[in-house]
Amino acid sequence: MLSRIADSLYWISRYLERAQETARILDVNYYMVLEHSQAAQRLRWQPLIDIAGDPEDFHRVHPEANSQTVFEYLAFREENPNSIAACIARARENARTIRERISREMWEDINSLYHTIHRFKPSEEIAAGPHRFCNLVKFATHRFRGVADGTLPHDEGWQFLRIGSGLERAEMTARIVDVQYRDLVEAPREFRSYDNHQWLAVLKSVGAYEAYRRTYLSRVEPERVAELLILHADHPRSVRFNIQETQAGLRAISGTMPGSYANEAERLTGRLLESLRYHRIEEIFERGFHQYLEETQQTCRAIGAEIARTYFYYAVTP
Amino acid sequence: MSNAAAALPPNLFDGYDPGPYYDEMFEAPGKPRPHYALLFQRLAGMQATQFQEHRHLADLAFLIQGITFTVYSDGRGTERLFPFDLIPRILPHAEWQHIERGLSQRVIALNLFLQDVYGPQRILRDRRIPRSLVYSCPHFRREMMGIEAPLGIFTHISGIDLVRDSNSGEFLVLEDNVRTPSGVSYVLENRLVMTRTFPGVFQNYEVLPIDHYPTELISILRGLSPRGAQDPVVVLLTPGVFNSAYFEHSFLAGQMGVELVEGRDLIVDAGIVYMKTIYGLKRVDVIYRRIDDEFLDPLEFRPDSLLGVPGLMGAYRAGNVALANAVGNGVADDKAIYAYVPEFIRYYLGQDPILPNVPTYLCSRPADLQYVLERLPELVVKAVGESGGYGMLMGPSADRRTLAEFRERIAASPRNYIAQPVIPLSTVPSHDPAASRFAGRHVDLRPYCLFNGEKVIVVPGGLTRVALQPGSLVVNSSQGGGSKDTWVLGANDVVADR
Repeated sequence: MLSRIADSLYWISRYLERAQETARILDVNYYMVLEHSQAAQRLRWQPLIDIAGDPEDFHRVHPEANSQTVFEYLAFREENPNSIAACIARARENARTIRERISREMWEDINSLYHTIHRFKPSEEIAAGPHRFCNLVKFATHRFRGVADGTLPHDEGWQFLRIGSGLERAEMTARIVDVQYRDLVEAPREFRSYDNHQWLAVLKSVGAYEAYRRTYLSRVEPERVAELLILHADHPRSVRFNIQETQAGLRAISGTMPGSYANEAERLTGRLLESLRYHRIEEIFERGFHQYLEETQQTCRAIGAEIARTYFYYAVTP
Repeated sequence: MSNAAAALPPNLFDGYDPGPYYDEMFEAPGKPRPHYALLFQRLAGMQATQFQEHRHLADLAFLIQGITFTVYSDGRGTERLFPFDLIPRILPHAEWQHIERGLSQRVIALNLFLQDVYGPQRILRDRRIPRSLVYSCPHFRREMMGIEAPLGIFTHISGIDLVRDSNSGEFLVLEDNVRTPSGVSYVLENRLVMTRTFPGVFQNYEVLPIDHYPTELISILRGLSPRGAQDPVVVLLTPGVFNSAYFEHSFLAGQMGVELVEGRDLIVDAGIVYMKTIYGLKRVDVIYRRIDDEFLDPLEFRPDSLLGVPGLMGAYRAGNVALANAVGNGVADDKAIYAYVPEFIRYYLGQDPILPNVPTYLCSRPADLQYVLERLPELVVKAVGESGGYGMLMGPSADRRTLAEFRERIAASPRNYIAQPVIPLSTVPSHDPAASRFAGRHVDLRPYCLFNGEKVIVVPGGLTRVALQPGSLVVNSSQGGGSKDTWVLGANDVVADR
């Protein structure tokens, strides 16, 4: 497989995953905030920009973070490279450069998604609220995964799709939990009563609310939410699960046996996974929750860089 | 009788009049040619809205599949569809056989000319074509002198443009394309979309299949491998996603099951070409390149080319990699050299040309130049090295200033121009969305010919390009042209029932 093709598959997967995560947090936050006071609203929109955008860039465009400006910026703004529309456009552009290597159905699916997204009129959607748009993005990106699973041979190319979404989800979940937690700790006392709601929203935004209810049978407590989203072995949106996926993909490509590693990406993945497997959530809180999540995100970025160095970019000497 | 006729809803062919042109569908107003009679019955019974529906489905199919080209204006790329017209262009079996024989003869002669001109140059010594005309051709590549193309094949893939002259009803060769002719993907996709969105029209027609093209092409490419038959690695080299023919590159690579590579995916070391894979370098044996000669290798041609591969020509010269088409083919499809192709056929094959040329005036000949300058408003003038309808003058429709401009340009560099009489191209009914009925539009035909060193394989039909602007004779897609599905009928033309 050409390095350039592996590179594109990996990024198609990352961009679509990013679009989906952004759609999820927008949708959930919007409806949570509807029940809150004006003052709380202002407080509740800024974290989304911290999670899915670039705060400096955002404030160059919009003076204030509110439901409309954040929706506009995260969903439609072309100049924001992480907006949903931009992610889908880039995923589709990557697919276009390798369309002969993906299935016809994958291509038609992502291409029609691109055209659908670009037919939306931002002003109308902003007026209507984000649900219609975000829901479409959520299901469309799920569907693409299904189309890929069902039509692409599960060879190295498919493994790069798997690694891309594993890594993107792991990093994004870590960031969502990190930002929301920090936000709660720093929030003025009078807003503390919303804590419970905010953690509910975190669960809903990563699609883990029902799983939480079934697992813990208790009221929503920050430690338990963190445990589910970071350390759970089987929940498809937990950091641990997605690092497991990343490791499985990397090993399938290099043929490495468990217990060893073939390259730096595999070593870092293995180290992170061990930490996620054998830490208790209480230990993580004792050592510093924010720091742990910060390090986890850094490791995810380092894994991404090492994958690129190992498989995508060539030292030119043959 | 007249009452019953008056009660019929308006028919999409009402008032259709081909005028002075040869119409492929009608021999006289209201009287379809025998091979179109069935289709006529079917379409005539159709409501405008029904037809619109098929048209809409077809457009949607092209959009979803991303069969678009990108127009860059105001800094943002907008994607457009290549207009596709639903009325097929139908060629009866016997007529196609004649065309096929003519194409086969022409491709073999062009290949012999290229072998000769980059080899012993017999034709130059025998003075059957002026040496100066060959050497002054901008696409003549000195770098190819003495290189033996693998299996002696230069013109693996050719697209020969034909037109039907309304005056005689005969097919003429308008130009040869033996560098990197494009468009075959539209032939295949047009058929696919047509069968999916308008299946009814095929009923009772025996239309020859065309989907073996990629199979034939890959088998020719594999046969070129310098390492023999053991699983050669074939790749398709594209300039990249911004090229207007990118869809086709991707399509063909996918259909043939070969890697689509860009220059940056390849590397040459010690005269061997490799591609960069996730498991390291992998040797490449055959390159179907869709990059022009001058961009292939910055070490030998344009040094500023970022599309090519440094050292590629060295590997080619050493016989370590095969290129299709060969380098330097542009000398054979130069618009001035074109005038000598009938001579090539006589010289190399000892035969009379089966498909005639369009009469051509070479401005490099003083007598022709004088004639061209005098009769400019009646002629079509073409720049010899250009393609795609660029650098062209349509005398009868040009204004005074344009005529004066061309007169100057021709006088300044006569070698760069040829002129031809305006050929009244044949027409095919095409849907006119503004008037919501059918109107005659001019067409040409580009069949695709594959050459394996022994015989020429022509995919039945080819690309029918149609000038969708009323009255226009320019069919190029860059000039607002569209295309049609092209049917070659089997030996029985129309079958009773299947």
